[in-house]
Amino acid sequence: MTTTVAQRDVALIDLVDRLLGGGVVIAGDITLAVADVDLVYVSLRALVSSVATAEEKHLLPRMGSAL
Amino acid sequence: MTDKLLHAPRDLDLFAREQPRLDDALTRRVNADPDNLERGLAQLVMTIVELLRQLMERQALRRIDGGTLSDDEVERLGRTFMELDKRMEELRETFGLDEEDLNLNLGPLGNLL
Amino acid sequence: MIEVYAIADHPGPPLPDGAAGLRAVPVGRLAAICGAVQERDVSPDALWTHEEVVEGLMASRDLLPVRYGTRLPDESRLTAAVAERHDVLLAALDGAAELALRVAAPPETPAPADAARRVHDALASQARASTVLDARESADVLRAAYLVRRADSEAFTAAVAGQQRAHPGLRLLCTGPWPPYSFAAA
Repeated sequence: MTTTVAQRDVALIDLVDRLLGGGVVIAGDITLAVADVDLVYVSLRALVSSVATAEEKHLLPRMGSAL
Repeated sequence: MTDKLLHAPRDLDLFAREQPRLDDALTRRVNADPDNLERGLAQLVMTIVELLRQLMERQALRRIDGGTLSDDEVERLGRTFMELDKRMEELRETFGLDEEDLNLNLGPLGNLL
Repeated sequence: MIEVYAIADHPGPPLPDGAAGLRAVPVGRLAAICGAVQERDVSPDALWTHEEVVEGLMASRDLLPVRYGTRLPDESRLTAAVAERHDVLLAALDGAAELALRVAAPPETPAPADAARRVHDALASQARASTVLDARESADVLRAAYLVRRADSEAFTAAVAGQQRAHPGLRLLCTGPWPPYSFAAA
């Protein structure tokens, strides 16, 4: 079965890897509450619905309940 | 912004199996407030419990070495501490904490544990 | 609260027209480009929007992209953080872009890891720098990034096509050009 995958969706993997895993990390005197990328809230629904292979994926319960 | 695909095979299926990892990559970076608060408190409480456990264990060992306990008492102590250790491990797992997470850095005094 | 996008040279060209609300905070010979934090969910759109800002900046200057979601209370905190690593950051700024490679293989391909490694070595020799990324959690055989002068992107892409022809049992995916995320960690 061939899945139609939008080109941007495929490049999204590389984008996420880079934005969240790469780049300059500016540490210094910053509190966890404001500077750490971990405090970005994820709308999994928005994320999953934008990828054509969404039918195979499940929302992780702990994330879903946090929204 | 330009289209990012510089070179791609006609069938992109092999490169589209990523969604679980994508979810994971993003969820690993999220601290949902309620969960995190609970986890932070659990971490603090468990650090103190761990401190007490270590102090008690050390005390028990001193008593055992000092020869002032009966065989029965020594065995009960040993089992109790093993149970305690196991319980701590279960609790840590529940909150996704490693042994190293149960510690407090006291600055110039070093680590608590 | 401010959000940081990139570290660039200072002095530098004026910020692009579309860069509403961005400021370039000078720190020695660097400029930290930041803007007010916009609270929003992380979604593909949010990520692409952020990326567009960084690439818009990259079109007119050399820069090091800053990790997404980097937030600081104010500019003075930002200045201090950048000043602390000024020389290292300045040395890393070199105007190159990053091209990403993902290698996959259908199950019937024998020894895909060896073949992928040969592809990587061949491409690495045509780049200013290269790095193999962690592909363990993915289905990919290999993931890598290559630092390439922006003007050399086309030639590099042709090299990827050449490697694809040489290895019909592999599937090569090359994306970019990206800001040099994988070469910015100093």
